[in-house]
Amino acid sequence: MKSTIRIQPEDFDISEQYQLLRDLTKGIGAVVTFTGLVREFEPSGDQQSAIDSLSIQHYSGMTEELLSQIVDRAAARWNLLGVTIIHRIGELLPSEQIVFVGVASQHRNDGFMAAQFIMDYLKTQATFWKQISQNGRSCWVDTKVSDAQVLKRWNLPVDKDL
Amino acid sequence: MVKLLFFGRLSDYANGVPSQIQASTAADIRQQLATEHPLLARQLSEPQVLVAVNKQIVDWQQALQGGDEVAFLPPVTGG
Repeated sequence: MKSTIRIQPEDFDISEQYQLLRDLTKGIGAVVTFTGLVREFEPSGDQQSAIDSLSIQHYSGMTEELLSQIVDRAAARWNLLGVTIIHRIGELLPSEQIVFVGVASQHRNDGFMAAQFIMDYLKTQATFWKQISQNGRSCWVDTKVSDAQVLKRWNLPVDKDL
Repeated sequence: MVKLLFFGRLSDYANGVPSQIQASTAADIRQQLATEHPLLARQLSEPQVLVAVNKQIVDWQQALQGGDEVAFLPPVTGG
C-alpha cells in the first residue's frame, strides 16, 4: 500500500491526483476521491454571511505523523492499494480547494469506507486550525460537536489523545 | 529550559510570552503563566486543550526535560 501525505500552500489538480492513484499498481478496481472546498458563506450571529478568506495553520511535523497514523489505521481495516491526502495551509479564498483524500482499492466498498474514515479522523485529530475573515473581522473556527460524534460510526472508542 | 508553542486561538493570547521557560511539567508552565498572562492561563485551563511534548500528546503532569518542545493545542478544525 503506497501512501502520499502532503501539506502545502499550493492548490492541487484532482485529475492529476486521480491519475497518479490509478497508475500506482495493477489490480485497482476503484478510486474514490473527496475534495473539500472553502464555503462562501458561514454563520455570523443568527444569519449566513459571505466570508472574505480562510487562513489555515498547522503544527508541522505532528500533523504529518497524525495523518500517517490515520492512514495506517484505515489500511489495517480495509483492503487498500493507495492513499493520497493533500491539505492546504495559509490563506485561502472562498470556493478554493482545501483538502483532497483519494483512495485506490480493488473494490469500491473499501475505497468509500476508507475515504470517509480518513476524513472523519482528519477533521477531529489532525493538528490544523482554521481562522475565518468575515465582515472585516477574523475569528478562530469552533469545533463542531457533530464532527466528534460521527466517529461513533466507526464503532471505536473516541481516542483520549488527538 | 523547554520551548513553548501555542496554536489556534491560544496564539492570540501568547503575545509577550517567552519562547523558552524553565518548568517541570506542562501544568507547571500553566501555573507560571497565570501571574503575567492570566488570559492565556485561563484558556489553557479549558478541558479541551491538549498538550504535546515533542509532538506526542502527553498528560499535563508528565515530567519535562531540557530541550523539550511543549505545544498547547486547542480543539482542531481542519478539513
